[in-house]
Amino acid sequence: MKIIRNIFDKLEPMFTGDGSLKAFKPLYEAMDNFFFAPDKATLVAPFGRDPLDIKRFMSMVIVALVPALICSVYFFGLRFLAMMIVSYAVGGAVEVAFAVIRKEEINEGFLVTGMLFPMIMPPTLPLWMVGVGVAFGVLVGKELFGGTGRNIFNPAIVGRCFLALAYPLQMSTNWVKAGTGGIGRALEYVTVDSVDAVSNATPLVLAKGGEIVDISKMFLGNISGSIGETSALAIIAGGIFLLMTRVGNWRTVVATLLSAFVLSAIFHNSDSERFAPAMWHLCAGGLLFGAFFMATDPVTSPVTNAGKWFYGIIIGIVTVLIRNFGGYVEGVMFAILLGNIMAPILDEIVFKIRIRRLAVEG
Amino acid sequence: MKLRGGYNITLEGRPAGVVTKLPEPQRLCIPLFSRRFNFSEVLVTDGQVVSDGDTLATDPDNYSVPLLAPRGGTVRLNDTDNHIVLEDLACPAGKAHTPEKDLPHIVQKMGSAGLKRYKLLTLGAWQFFSDAFTGDLPDPMGKPQAVIISTLSLEPYVARGDVQLLNRLLQFTRGLEHLQSLLEYQPIYLVLPDIKSEFATRVREQIRGYAWAKLIEIPMKYPYDNFNILARGLGLKGADGPVWSVRTEGILAVDRSLTVSKPCLVRILAVGGPAVKNPVHVKLMAGYPTDSIVDMFTEGDCLRAINGGMLSGEAINTAKSGLDTEARGITILSEPKEREFLGFVRPGSDRASYSGCFLSSFRSKFSERLTTALRGEGRPCISCNYCEEVCPAGIMPHLLHKYLYEDLIEELDEARVDLCVQCGLCSFVCPSKIELKQQFLEAIDLIAKEKEEARLEKEAAEKRAQEEAARREAEEAAANEKAKADDAPVEDSGE
Ligand code: SF4
Ligand code: SF4
Repeated sequence: MKIIRNIFDKLEPMFTGDGSLKAFKPLYEAMDNFFFAPDKATLVAPFGRDPLDIKRFMSMVIVALVPALICSVYFFGLRFLAMMIVSYAVGGAVEVAFAVIRKEEINEGFLVTGMLFPMIMPPTLPLWMVGVGVAFGVLVGKELFGGTGRNIFNPAIVGRCFLALAYPLQMSTNWVKAGTGGIGRALEYVTVDSVDAVSNATPLVLAKGGEIVDISKMFLGNISGSIGETSALAIIAGGIFLLMTRVGNWRTVVATLLSAFVLSAIFHNSDSERFAPAMWHLCAGGLLFGAFFMATDPVTSPVTNAGKWFYGIIIGIVTVLIRNFGGYVEGVMFAILLGNIMAPILDEIVFKIRIRRLAVEG
Repeated sequence: MKLRGGYNITLEGRPAGVVTKLPEPQRLCIPLFSRRFNFSEVLVTDGQVVSDGDTLATDPDNYSVPLLAPRGGTVRLNDTDNHIVLEDLACPAGKAHTPEKDLPHIVQKMGSAGLKRYKLLTLGAWQFFSDAFTGDLPDPMGKPQAVIISTLSLEPYVARGDVQLLNRLLQFTRGLEHLQSLLEYQPIYLVLPDIKSEFATRVREQIRGYAWAKLIEIPMKYPYDNFNILARGLGLKGADGPVWSVRTEGILAVDRSLTVSKPCLVRILAVGGPAVKNPVHVKLMAGYPTDSIVDMFTEGDCLRAINGGMLSGEAINTAKSGLDTEARGITILSEPKEREFLGFVRPGSDRASYSGCFLSSFRSKFSERLTTALRGEGRPCISCNYCEEVCPAGIMPHLLHKYLYEDLIEELDEARVDLCVQCGLCSFVCPSKIELKQQFLEAIDLIAKEKEEARLEKEAAEKRAQEEAARREAEEAAANEKAKADDAPVEDSGE
């Protein structure tokens, strides 16, 4: 680390003052602070601070995604890593570009977006589409609002939504059959042309035709679907870790899953021919992934705890409604976008009520 | 009792429960200001020889609360700005203070209860009191709606109440009785961490039969010892009058000044924090040089000394100053030394966090070696809600921050930024390292100033309106008179 420090010290004059690369100062600072924790001291009370910072906060999401990541590679092959690299590179470039233009620090938020985005893509999506999608997501979903902390929509979902509307064909066909056995597809690079691997339907698509995939299979993830969304087991394992770190709020997750479960159970009981069982809905598609990793994004979900309950309920209910009655087979994405829109409104209502109660205090 | 939020920060360097003595100082450098007071009326002259217990200065804005000379000595006024320096210190004579010959005069003027209050004020016990809602010094002659006595001190690190109480239960209960004799029927709430403890049992035995004292149990969670939080938790309202609030040391001071009529010159302070070798409680007087305290308890440099606790204290410039008369503790932290390589990916079993993001959350509670490092970079608020969860005042720091950011002063006021008790927890937990507490302090001042201005303006406008009305009335009267005078001949002629 001495060596790295020396490199940074040597580079510093280029980025500071009148150095030749002074426009890229945010990039230098971000890298510097990435490798070496800043040693800034407090100026006002409290004089000590909690060790948690945004870097740690965001990296917890990435750690929580590790089980799902391993499953992704196991079930769908090395191509996922390529998608991830593209996603990080393009997303990072957009982030840096905006930081340079705005002369602000680089925000850590894209670390999470860059990881989440490829996980909600179909496994054979062309790499350039991954790039376009993530660029759109970060640009429109985040930077235009002013960067992490000021955005209304989850950038990863904005990106996916854009792709789903712009390239519906690539986004909804060409699903890969999940790998099985000792190493699965972990050493394969599956593309659209590896015909043997490409099947045509995810459990949700099959369900439209009345075919219900075995829940145990879905629980392990041995099904086709978006790369990171298939294995309920891995998502729950990582998700529980996320909740334990308090980075994800349990209220959102519980509200989402519970409301989806209850509503689909009601449907299933009323007409078990037409509607799939509640447990099946829970494990199918992106519901778990969305509930644990997308809906819990603190920036785009309501800040108040009461708001989080209603936010989760909206997402859960809308998901089940779209799945069972809508034209789309999967509704999580739109449900979360709708939730994102509702979040500030829910917050505003909670604020109003609480401020009214505060008026009589003290 | 309804209490919200709160969070205990365990910090290395908790002072031991015994009180030690420090060497007598050579020289005292007494600040003419403290958190609440500004002793602008200096009563001594340069070179004057004073004895211990003499009044050096008073604060005209706070009922002339006195600054007492902790030791006898020679006064130097021009040595340090805004300080009174005492040199050639003499051993304390410990004489009883109020001159007997004055007594009948005072009794005649104020009655015997008034005498007690007068003694409290002039012997330095009254400055231990504060109003639970405003935090200011209450009127010593006033009538409170209730009294809250707290034996807790939960902030790291200020002097713990139990340290002072262990051997002085008798004085404590005597002080309580004195205090009660100043009241009529107002309740006294005695706040304890555990009303079943041995200590609490002994207190209860002592005060059995005092119907006016109610024991209240609260959990040991910072900042539940805050009087504003306690008063609100007890359902008291600021509009119903002042709530006198006082800690253990204040009750002991009441006893001292009313039982033996001696001035309260020393206080018990905690010296603690991660940079302190042997954290202790010490008995010290105002003016004791802070740099010698820091030298005595620490090694090395790059230290920051704080007057008060880690969360709500103020950094002291140790160069020349001494302890002020309200000091309750000195916390010493070291400054951050080096930049940690890949700090944010460390497992972190040695760092205690409010969140569960570090391995330490699998350990049982432990004390952390905190430094003054900010431990992160400032970022926009990510709406994590931690600040609201820890806030004991029940307000929404993130919302207030947003309003401040957008300059919405009226909304800020509506969202009750004034309820903030400045506990500092929100700033402590915020992962975006936003200086919430500091911002709220400034906002409260700003709003108070604006309200004051509005009030003055309104008064001026009213005055103007009154003058206007008076003038118009006068004019009208004059006009009427004139009309009458004009009318009269007409009427006359009509007749
Ligand atoms: S807003 Fe005030 S009372 Fe609430 S946590 Fe922050 S400093 Fe404490
Ligand atoms: S703790 Fe900081 S980042 Fe979190 S909601 Fe409060 S102000 Fe925002």
